[in-house]
Amino acid sequence: MQLLKGEKEEILACVKEVLGENSKTHENLIPILQQVQKKLGYLPALAMDKIAEGLKVPAVDIFSLVTFYNQFRLNPPGKHEIKVCMGTACYMTGGDITLESFERRMGINEGETSLDRHYSLDRVACVGCCTLAPVAVIDDEVEGKVTPTRVDGIMLALEEDREDNAIEKSGPKVGAEDE
Amino acid sequence: MSKSDPQSIYENIKREARLRVESRQEKPLIMVGTATCGVAAGAMQVKEDFAREIDDKGLDAEVIEVGCIGHCYAEPLAIIAKPGFPPVCYGNLDDGLVHRLVEDFLAGDDPSYEYAMAALERNDEFPTFEDFPRGVYEEKLILEHCGYADFSKIESYVARDGYSALAKALSEDPKLVLEEVKEANLRGRGGAGFPAGKKWEACLNNGKDEIYVICNGDEGDPGAFMDRSVLESDPHLVLEGMILCAYAVGAKQGYLYIRAEYPRAVEHVRKAIEQARTKGFLGSSILGTNFSFDLEVFQGSGAFICGEATALVNSMEGRTGMPESRPPRLVQQGFRGKPTVLNNVKTFAYVPLIINKGAEWFKSIGTPESPGTAVFSLVGKINNTGLVEVPMGTTLRQLIEEVGDGLPEGSQFKAVQIGGPSGGCLPESALDVPIDFDSLHEAGAIMGSGGLVVMDQEDCMVAVARFFLEFTQNESCGKCTFCRLGTKHMLDILTDITRGEGDLETLEHLKELSEDVRDGSLCNLGRTAPNPVLTTLRYFYDEYKAHVEEGRCPALVCRDLILYYIKPAKCSKLCNVCVGSCPTEAIYTRDDGLKAIDQEKCVKCDNCRKACPTEYDAVLRLSPPVLPGEKERKAK
Amino acid sequence: MSDYITMIIDDREVKARRGEKLLWVALDNDIYIPHLCAIKEEKRPNASCRLCFVEIEGHNQPVTACTREVEEGMVVATRSSRVDRLVKTGFELLLSDHNLKCRECPANKNCSLQVIAKKRGLKLKHHRFNPLKREFKLDDSPAEFAFDRSRCVLCGQCTWADRFEAEVGAIGFTNRGIDRVVTTFNDLPLADSICTECKLCVDACPVGALYYKKDQNA
Repeated sequence: MQLLKGEKEEILACVKEVLGENSKTHENLIPILQQVQKKLGYLPALAMDKIAEGLKVPAVDIFSLVTFYNQFRLNPPGKHEIKVCMGTACYMTGGDITLESFERRMGINEGETSLDRHYSLDRVACVGCCTLAPVAVIDDEVEGKVTPTRVDGIMLALEEDREDNAIEKSGPKVGAEDE
Repeated sequence: MSKSDPQSIYENIKREARLRVESRQEKPLIMVGTATCGVAAGAMQVKEDFAREIDDKGLDAEVIEVGCIGHCYAEPLAIIAKPGFPPVCYGNLDDGLVHRLVEDFLAGDDPSYEYAMAALERNDEFPTFEDFPRGVYEEKLILEHCGYADFSKIESYVARDGYSALAKALSEDPKLVLEEVKEANLRGRGGAGFPAGKKWEACLNNGKDEIYVICNGDEGDPGAFMDRSVLESDPHLVLEGMILCAYAVGAKQGYLYIRAEYPRAVEHVRKAIEQARTKGFLGSSILGTNFSFDLEVFQGSGAFICGEATALVNSMEGRTGMPESRPPRLVQQGFRGKPTVLNNVKTFAYVPLIINKGAEWFKSIGTPESPGTAVFSLVGKINNTGLVEVPMGTTLRQLIEEVGDGLPEGSQFKAVQIGGPSGGCLPESALDVPIDFDSLHEAGAIMGSGGLVVMDQEDCMVAVARFFLEFTQNESCGKCTFCRLGTKHMLDILTDITRGEGDLETLEHLKELSEDVRDGSLCNLGRTAPNPVLTTLRYFYDEYKAHVEEGRCPALVCRDLILYYIKPAKCSKLCNVCVGSCPTEAIYTRDDGLKAIDQEKCVKCDNCRKACPTEYDAVLRLSPPVLPGEKERKAK
Repeated sequence: MSDYITMIIDDREVKARRGEKLLWVALDNDIYIPHLCAIKEEKRPNASCRLCFVEIEGHNQPVTACTREVEEGMVVATRSSRVDRLVKTGFELLLSDHNLKCRECPANKNCSLQVIAKKRGLKLKHHRFNPLKREFKLDDSPAEFAFDRSRCVLCGQCTWADRFEAEVGAIGFTNRGIDRVVTTFNDLPLADSICTECKLCVDACPVGALYYKKDQNA
């Protein structure tokens, strides 16, 4: 993935800051990765490389960790993160139908981020709200009893937010069409 | 030594705590259940509504957050404790009800019992939770204060004798703690039921210099949330248990490993640790003694396998959470290569109670081989979903019918799934099995971490087995051959069966492979992953047979084996509800005004069947997936 | 206490150094036990290939020989119906995810899988399990060797050689579960990684996943 201008500096500054706050032991590796991801939203290759350098471990070991644990992301998340719960209770009440509805409405598959980085869709094992099944987590807010109709409602709100953004962006800026 | 012995230091702290708690009791206290489940149901809004209404009326009352009381079916809920009245619990709160309670009960003196669920203390006016069938069977030991205590304030814990077990233990020899836990036969609540005392003792014998105490809060079973509730609702109980364990084995440092998906639990526990340090229950020279011990939270990163002991340690040491072959066991060589006690959240929570009330008391509850209680999260097709705690030895039937208040109307019991992805599905005939570690194991299930899912005629056992397999296959770390490739092939076979592919030989093949994965895998994730498959094959073989031999899913679940059909005789020209409900515009209006489904476009989302008004009930699912017309055509 | 113990493997009396692992004791005495992932120098055995099952008297289930320390008086049988069943299933599972075109494979006739098949009378073809048929991109970026992941059995011999013999740290295991692979940081081609092309990993590979390019080797 190509980094945008300024992103490189942001990543380097962030890693430096986190490494400065933690002792550079192997045991701190996961907390360090968690803190960097919390700040950046994901773990770019550059960050992994710098963390490896700082802790004096092979970079491939960091890559191992990041690709092993569900929590870590290699790509930036969407502005809105949607997670569909796939716990037992949710599955039994149609969690897979909820997930499919989101996939259909967003035009992306689980684990993906929309091209414009507006939203990303993931499944989670269980958020422990089984009595409200089926459950989806929209930007850390748990939504209970999600039906395909409710999915439409949620998507509508997210789309409205996108339109608001578009209006803001299309203001005075000129020549932003080089994509 | 009168002023500086642990007991008198503790008594001073408690006196202060009592004063602070009592000063709060002079005015009405509204306790809103804001554990994760409550928040999801809208508890934060309820809390705001209370605060606003109280403010509007200029009343002097306090609104606080408490944890989970276990009656999740009625979330959001709150307890109102007003001086002069018994504390009363109200469920299914919304702004209207909040308004009414503030006006009638807080401003006036009418507790609005018609909206109350139960009282929390015995009184002459209104029944308590113990007066309901559920209360008769329930016996709350570790959940006693969950949802009825301010988790955010250590005073609330100390005022009800919290940390008194620690003060008591510190005045005595550490050996006595170990002896008491051993004598109580406290078995590990993480699933396997290994006696905690034996584990501690082994550690003590192995540890020459350093010993670590770790609490396993990596509760990952889909459908289980007991550990989360305890950590969120009564964190100090777990901390006290860990400190007692550390005293018994001579540990100086401990950790709570809490899974990434539980941010509230992490927050509550971190806060509790800080408070305990401030009061001198943690840190150096605890309660004035020369015993020092400290705790830290380690946050997991989202890998189910890290609930496995060796994988958890690897993860804490900054590696991928891969299990190791055992021996050596953790009590020999654990965290940092040192002897380590690893116990489940609930196991630690029992310890302060055992120290305070004694091993004999603990053994008087439950069965001789499995003393104490079992905590379950009851979910699925059951009326009272939520968190329950019953003595070991209670039968599954009592748990489901009495404590859980049975299945909803129209639901017929089919199976109960215990122990999550490592557990099994038991049929009606196994319902009189008493709940204890050994009986459940014999029936083919395991106690597991305590998730209990009730299933009815609308749940397909093949699909359920496939669901759990998909979960374990997804969470397999990939280290060993049997789990990495074996669960993949098992999943592929099960997927085929849910599509009606295969024959009786396929079922035999699936059984063989399941047995080999059970016997050949490196760790318990792989070794127990086949349980849901093996138990469903054992108890629900006919359902598997219907899939492969007739291409029929009896529960009408497997989507490749059903189709949606609108029965013209039941459909009405006057109704259009289903058309609007369809997300793919598969439903059209026929020339005669009735509705029909374009099978090519239908994604079988079930929306139309749910939308169809009950007076028509015209949307049917057919399995095998053959339209009535086709059947006739084929017959000709 | 003597440094040596006496034990019985397949009805034969065997002397061995106390604390040694059963697998190596058996192999040193020319008693064959199938294995792929075992590394003698590794303190805590990986125990991941699950092929070295044996029966030990007193154990109610077959156990892996690579993880068991020998003990005085231990009685071991390297074959039994239960052992054979597990080895067969484990082996077939590995084959289901292995590119089985032996004739095209540079390790043909010099392959650990072929040895296991021969010694245990197992077939080198897909029997009970459908091949998984996964797509892997061939990495032939190094000058003298190439890496074909479709043949990899994830035994870990190459990562051990890279880490502890060559002391480089260019390759490791990434991802989880069925997606687990041996790869470089950020999935770079070996030539673009910190790999020094010392080729110790190629020598360590038992199955022809890492292999010398023909023209170089001829």
